[in-house]
Amino acid sequence: MSKSDWNSPEAVRRLAKRHAAEKRFKLVGLGAIVLSLGFLALLLVIMLKNGVAGLDWDFLSGSDSTDATTAGVWGAAKGSLLTMLVTLLLSFPMGVLAAIYLEEFAPKKKWIEWVEVSINNLAAVPSIIFGLLGLAVFINTFQMPRSSPLVGGLTLALMTMPVIVISGRNAIKAVPPSIREAAYGIGASKVQTTFHHVLPLALPGILTGTIIGMARALGETAPLLMIGMRAFVVTPPDSLTAPSSVLPMQIFLWSDEIDKAFVQNTSAAIIVLLVFLLAMNGIAIYLRNKFEVRW
Amino acid sequence: MTEAKITARNVDVFYGQKKAINDVSIDIDNGIVTAFIGPSGCGKSTFLRTLNRMNDTIAGARVDGQILLDGEDIYASTMDSVALRARVGMVFQKPNPFPKSIYENIAYGPRIHGLASAKSDMDRIVENALTKAGLWEEVKDRLTDAGTALSGGQQQRLCIARAIAVSPEVILMDEPCSALDPIATARIEELIDELKESFAIVIVTHSMQQAARVSQRTAFFHLGSMVEYGETDQIFTNPRETRTKDYITGRYG
Repeated sequence: MSKSDWNSPEAVRRLAKRHAAEKRFKLVGLGAIVLSLGFLALLLVIMLKNGVAGLDWDFLSGSDSTDATTAGVWGAAKGSLLTMLVTLLLSFPMGVLAAIYLEEFAPKKKWIEWVEVSINNLAAVPSIIFGLLGLAVFINTFQMPRSSPLVGGLTLALMTMPVIVISGRNAIKAVPPSIREAAYGIGASKVQTTFHHVLPLALPGILTGTIIGMARALGETAPLLMIGMRAFVVTPPDSLTAPSSVLPMQIFLWSDEIDKAFVQNTSAAIIVLLVFLLAMNGIAIYLRNKFEVRW
Repeated sequence: MTEAKITARNVDVFYGQKKAINDVSIDIDNGIVTAFIGPSGCGKSTFLRTLNRMNDTIAGARVDGQILLDGEDIYASTMDSVALRARVGMVFQKPNPFPKSIYENIAYGPRIHGLASAKSDMDRIVENALTKAGLWEEVKDRLTDAGTALSGGQQQRLCIARAIAVSPEVILMDEPCSALDPIATARIEELIDELKESFAIVIVTHSMQQAARVSQRTAFFHLGSMVEYGETDQIFTNPRETRTKDYITGRYG
């Protein structure tokens, strides 16, 4: 066929087939979204139904108790805040500096490849193992106080750092080389080029990765079990070394209670945790938009 | 004969095992425009980038031979590549302003080199550089606008102004007009002609017409070697080498 005839029956059939394929794909894609969002909606509805009645000021400002009616979530929430603070202060600078070093400064040597592979593997290590590590190193070797936000934060920082390194490296890699050349071209040193030009452009991506890592750490329970943060704590922690619980642990503890009245508490605590997570994601989006530079 | 600004002797450049530049020797003079021409992949850009050690930033690149700037070996261990690049500025193929304001684009270089002690000094440097680059009249009322919001031709002049602002002695231009339309190109060519009074200019170009228009000397590169170097008029009207003649008459390229 030297010239295609768009009106021939064969051509019409071909076109119809292509359109049908497109429609099928749209339907399947939409179905996938509806299915996943449906489960989220279901979870939210059930939690709201069970828990919203328990969300009053006493619950938000109280601490754990053996009595379901007086038990509150503030102790665990404050523990989560302090733990996250330690995690952020440690994993963010460490992760970003490691990412910058690996991406911009590291010599292309064999041992650097090993470091890269190790960091990628570290991000995939099950969290319970980080808990064991925290127990062995921070508590047994360094004699830090058990059940404390300090140890919890340190342990979660170990877990979060590789996530930040990986996302940070991707963000740094995405900065166009022409920007580096521009800076080198007027005599900027490597450190100046990196910190004045590359890092600001990579920051939105780094922040997004950081928040994702932090959100994961916030919901983490297993490693904190190992370092004793499942203790029954009736007073909110007043320092980084005071015994404390965290939100997901509180949820786990309450869901384990035999007393029926704790069902409401469990659902209400889940709502608090979800709000916490949403707020963190909101901050991530805000920061990303704020620092985003177009070029 | 005047003292050469840049003297290169027997320069070889390797990327890993691959030899990209083979035994190039050239003298580049002050006060004129020197053009490097040749087909794609002939090594003209690679050689240009050895003149301010831009190849240092590429892993696996190695330079043999000697390159002198005012008699100083730029690959000597005593030569700081950062200081060198302040003396030998560079303008790139694609306009690459920083994603910052027009003012900041110019002020960044002088600031890191400590060229201005007061805000008024900096303002003067910025105005001066933009004026020399023929951009001042167009942008003087919007210095705080993003440099990236300018048109392509303006962006390239901004990049030239950015290079001028650190008072270099030589400006290297790597196909500065290849991403621009003919009008913006003409504007840059005029500018190059004015700038040669103050700087030694080396320009790599794909366009032979451009080389003929803006340069006083032309070097023809082919397959990593410099085939011929001479007065632009002579290269274009009476080339000594057959390969130069074939390229200029459009037999290959």
